[in-house]
This record gives sequence, structure tokens and C-alpha cells, in this order.
Amino acid sequence: MQFYKWTAFSYTPWVILPVVLGVVSTMLMYDEHQNDMLKQLWIIPVSRAGYFFSKFTIVLFYSICFMLLTAAASVFFGTLPGYITVEWGSIVYLLRKCVEIAILTAFSVLPLLTVAASGKSYIFPVCVTLVYTFLGFILLMVNMYLHPLSSMTAIVMRDIPGVVLTQKLNIPAAFICIAIWCTGSALFAVSSLGKRK
Amino acid sequence: MSKYVIETKQLTKNYGEQTAVNAVNIHVEKGRIYGLLGRNGAGKTTIMKMILGLTPVTSGEVDVFGQNIKGREKRVYPRIGAIIETPGFYPNLTGTENLEIFAKLRGTAAPNAVKNALGIVGLPYRDKKLFSKYSLGMKQRLGIANAILHDPELLILDEPTNGLDPIGIAEVRGFIKALSTERGKTILISSHILSEIALLADDIGIIDHGVLLEENSMEVLEEKNSKYILLQVSDIPKTSLVLERQFGVTDYSVQDDHFLRIYNTSLDMAAVNKALVVQDVAVISSQLCNDTLEDYFKKITGGEGIA
Ligand SMILES: Nc1ncnc2c1ncn2[C@@H]1O[C@H](COP(=O)(O)OP(=O)(O)OP(=O)(O)O)[C@@H](O)[C@H]1O
Ligand SMILES: [Mg+2]
Repeated sequence: MQFYKWTAFSYTPWVILPVVLGVVSTMLMYDEHQNDMLKQLWIIPVSRAGYFFSKFTIVLFYSICFMLLTAAASVFFGTLPGYITVEWGSIVYLLRKCVEIAILTAFSVLPLLTVAASGKSYIFPVCVTLVYTFLGFILLMVNMYLHPLSSMTAIVMRDIPGVVLTQKLNIPAAFICIAIWCTGSALFAVSSLGKRK
Repeated sequence: MSKYVIETKQLTKNYGEQTAVNAVNIHVEKGRIYGLLGRNGAGKTTIMKMILGLTPVTSGEVDVFGQNIKGREKRVYPRIGAIIETPGFYPNLTGTENLEIFAKLRGTAAPNAVKNALGIVGLPYRDKKLFSKYSLGMKQRLGIANAILHDPELLILDEPTNGLDPIGIAEVRGFIKALSTERGKTILISSHILSEIALLADDIGIIDHGVLLEENSMEVLEEKNSKYILLQVSDIPKTSLVLERQFGVTDYSVQDDHFLRIYNTSLDMAAVNKALVVQDVAVISSQLCNDTLEDYFKKITGGEGIA
């Protein structure tokens, strides 16, 4: 159990996954922007919201795949040297937790997709990704319910055994925080895609 | 229902301080080819973008298929095919794959639409070449193929022959003409090349610095593209008599009290002069004039360099 925690729950969800997803978001938005394809898409017509959410679906899918691979890898490398015996219960728990993290993180990085959607540049969204992830980390200590990533942490932490928390968890507040950020950024993204010159 | 497929009313676009399009009224009739002619930066692309709702209109109105386009874009777009400036595609896919994506997004295209469209523009079907490896002319052709993929009634083509070689231009001109005459499509096409528009369009709109200077059918404009002898005489009625009685000339026009245009340029002017002198008419001057469309456009755009 301790081992899984170390592998799957250590840096992967809080740092690596958001950064990876931020970069994926940027890349997803890059092609159409860079090749000036949007004007052709809008007159098909493709709806702005449909376009944005199809991109988000890919991010979500990618996130789940990434976390499942992480889970598989930690089980594999855990059993290989015979450190631990495989217990079904813990594997199922691990998978469930990984999928949970994957979905929540995908939603938490929706603002990054918005940033990528509203500009042509490539460097800017990547920088924002780093700052955003870092801020999530810092705000974790201050107030968990300001930043989607720290809210996500709060939700995930609620039932990991052996984690001692300094703050009392407020799960609804965390969900509300994520929901507000997601709605806000989705609206902003759709409107900024709409008023393209 | 108005008889126009596209009609703009006092269409205006400001980019900050600059007025890119200024109170433009264009009228595109069904089944005809309308050529929008103007120099670089005249505002052709901006007009087309506004017609398509790709850029907000500052003031004025765009009617497409007889109704204001505002709010009806979703229903109108499937009836329009367009290329605006250089068309963009996924660079890491082949032309066929790119078109298949667009066909899928459109949903309405016929099963062999991609093959047909590529056939029309003269690109190979199921070629292995990636879009990023296409030449400029091939890219442009793929853009046209994408515009005609779903067999739209109205085509809006912004400089479709940009980057094509002369033979390519002739080919594209050929199939654009065919689309209009054989399939009854309405086409709005822009260009900064006069000769190209002159060969293709039924109607022409000339735009300069965002202002529509003239809108006319090709026939009317062609009249301004004529050769004639300009005769300055002291007495017009007597001259008319001489021309009609002695030389059988009827295709001439009287410009004012002293000027007269004779469109038959093979007339023996020496004999005419002699006959006029006999009739006591003073011939002040006589010259062969050759107004080309080009001169005309230069005149109305007030400068050099169109054509
Ligand atoms: N997005 C924009 N922001 C600011 N100004 C713009 C923008 N797009 C066009 N303009 C200006 O509007 C004017 C008209 O541009 P437009 O692209 O419509 O010209 P055009 O007739 O298509 O020229 P070309 O033959 O070069 O394609 C130009 O002066 C241009 O600088
Ligand atoms: Mg242009």
C-alpha cells in the first residue's frame, strides 16, 4: 500500500499530470490556429462550443490513459521485484483513485485549454501552465478552495489512508471551486473563439 | 424575395481609426459571376469576411439569399462554399485526408464528393503527398476543392488563382466558368488582376480604399473599352449628313457641340476631311482613340498599378 502511494500518488498527479495536460492542450489548439484553419471550420459550420468541448474530450481521454498507465506501471514495478504481494482490493482501489485523479485534473486544467484557445502563440500557454501548476501547489497550503488544482487535491486526499491533513476538508467547496473555474473558462474560451478578427 | 443572392447595404468596417470598407453596396445576382476588383488593401477580403460573418460588421447589413445573414449563419453556411485568403489545412495529412475530414464535418457531402472535387481542380485522389509538401498552386487548388466539396449554390472565392501559373489560372478560370454556366452557381470572386476578372466575370465591382467606385455589368464596361475616331468639327449637323449620305456611316455618336465619335476606325479619314471641307465644315482635329478597360480603371481608381 505504501508503495503504491509513493508511486502513483506522489508527484504524478500534482505536478506531472497538470503540466503534461497543459502541454497537450496547447498542442491540440496549435494546429488549427497556426494553419489558419478556424475560418474554414466556422463556415462549415462548426460551433465554437462544439469545437472547444471536443478538444476537452481529448484532454480528458488523454488524462485517463495517462493515469491508467501510471497505475499499471506502479503495479508492475511493485510486483516485479516481489516487494509486495498483489492484493486485488488495493489494485482496484488504485485504479479507482487514478481514474478519479485523471478526471478531476482534466477539469482542473480547463483554464489552460482556454488560454491555448484564445491565442496563437505556443510559448505563452506553456508558461501559463507552469505558473498555474506551481500556484496550485502553493495555494494548497493557504486556501485549498481558490485554485482548481488544490481543490482537486482536497477531493482526492479525502480517503487516502495515512495522509494527515492540516486543514479540515470541505469537499463541496472544492467541487464548487472547480465548477466555477470550468464554467468561467469555458465561457471565456467560446466567446474569444467567437470574436476572432 | 430580392433577386440578389448577396446584397450589402451601406456595409462598413472600421479597424480602429482606419476605415477598411466604407458604405459598400454590392449586388450579386443569381447564377452570375461577380468580380470584385481592387488593389492590395482595397478591402476585398474584409468584405468577403463580413459577408460570411467571420468578422464583425461595424455598420450596415449583409443579405444572403434574400435575408439578413445575422443569426441565420448555421442554416446559410451549408449553401456556401468559400476560400478566404490562403486556405489552411492540416500539414501532416494528405490532401485527400484533409478533404475527408472536412467532408465528415459537413456531414451532407455525397459519398464520392472528395474524389469529384479533387477531379474538378485537377489534384490526384489518394495521393501520398502531405499537405505541407504541396506547392502554393496545389494548396490553392485544394482550397477550391474544399469550397466546392458540398456542391454549394454560392461560391465566395477570395483570389482563388493566387500563386497559380498561367496555365493553372486558365484551368481554374475554365472550371469556375463551367460551375456557373453548367451548374448555375452564383460566384463572388475577388482579384487584383483586371484581365483575369475581365475574362471571367459577368458583373464587376471596382473597389478602392474601401469605397465601391463602380458596379456594372461586363457589357456596359466593355463599351468603355473601345476604339474610335474622335473628330472635332465646327458644325455637327452638317458633319452628320456628310457621314451618313456620303460614307454610309451610322455607328457614331455626338458627344457635344463640337465632338463626334466614329466607331468605324477603318474609315478613310482623308476622304472624310476632304468631303467636310467641301461642305464648308472646318475640321479642327481628328484622332484615333483607344480606351482600354485598363485605362478606365486607372482613371477611376485615380492611379497606377491596377491590372
Ligand atoms: N485584422 C485587421 N486589423 C486591422 N486592419 C486590418 C485587418 N484586416 C485588414 N485590415 C486592413 O483593412 C484594409 C483592407 O484589407 P483587405 O485584407 O480587405 O484588403 P484586400 O483587398 O483583400 O487586399 P489584398 O489584395 O492584398 O488581399 C487594409 O488596409 C488592411 O490593412
Ligand atoms: Mg485579400
